[in-house]
Amino acid sequence: MPDRDGSDPSPTVDPEPAESGSLEPPTGPRRILIALYAIFALAATARGIVQIATTFASAPLAYVLSLFSGIVYIAATVGLSTSRTWSRRLALSACGTELVGVLLIGAASLIDPAAFPHDTVWSRFGSGYGFFPLLLPLLGLLWLRQTRPESDR
Amino acid sequence: MIGPFAYSVLIAGLLLAGWAGIWAWMDKPTGEALMIAVIILEVALVVQSALALLRLGSAHLAEPVTFIAYAAGILAPLPFGFQLARIERTKWGSLTLASTALVAAVMTLRLLQIWRAPGA
Repeated sequence: MPDRDGSDPSPTVDPEPAESGSLEPPTGPRRILIALYAIFALAATARGIVQIATTFASAPLAYVLSLFSGIVYIAATVGLSTSRTWSRRLALSACGTELVGVLLIGAASLIDPAAFPHDTVWSRFGSGYGFFPLLLPLLGLLWLRQTRPESDR
Repeated sequence: MIGPFAYSVLIAGLLLAGWAGIWAWMDKPTGEALMIAVIILEVALVVQSALALLRLGSAHLAEPVTFIAYAAGILAPLPFGFQLARIERTKWGSLTLASTALVAAVMTLRLLQIWRAPGA
């Protein structure tokens, strides 16, 4: 065993070098998050716009929720893909909003299906989208936790 | 619509996702053969969307706007994953490509479902 005290400045065997937060350009797992978020942002926003433009009167709540979730996904995508001072805060609040939204709407749609006759992205915890709406904010928050700057620990 | 063709695209998308997924599993960045396969699948997707939109007039769809949105949107994920996999020369690039190929496959399935949906 090589001596590994604090004076050793070469942690070359570390398989997962810790990314040092939001000021780095996007790499590694962050790219997958950005890709998935961008796709969901597109899908949910397009869905919301189509629904509101074609059949708004039949389920205004569900369709406004679709559009809202799309906007939150856009915010998360921007927060994850940029490296500004506000990026982490934006990503954090967007992922948090998503998690609360998918849990609330998911539970509400199961408890009172009559109130949600028209599916949204978040209905039944996102089962219409392979539960990705539930998984994405968890992955996003996990990534933000993994990469939080030293000063926050 | 274009049943057999769309099913071939669907299976090809799943195979491609599996291929890229195995590459990620083996800790490898995407190779040249994989990238060529992505281009071929994207061309197939363009053909599929073109055929679908050309035959739109003769079909009775419940949600034509949604169908058109899917037919156009389905072309986006693969080039996006391709580009990210080119920048990210690690297993994460392979995994990104795998996930976008999976999205393309799922969107093909949705296209088929919307086409089949009884016209209301």
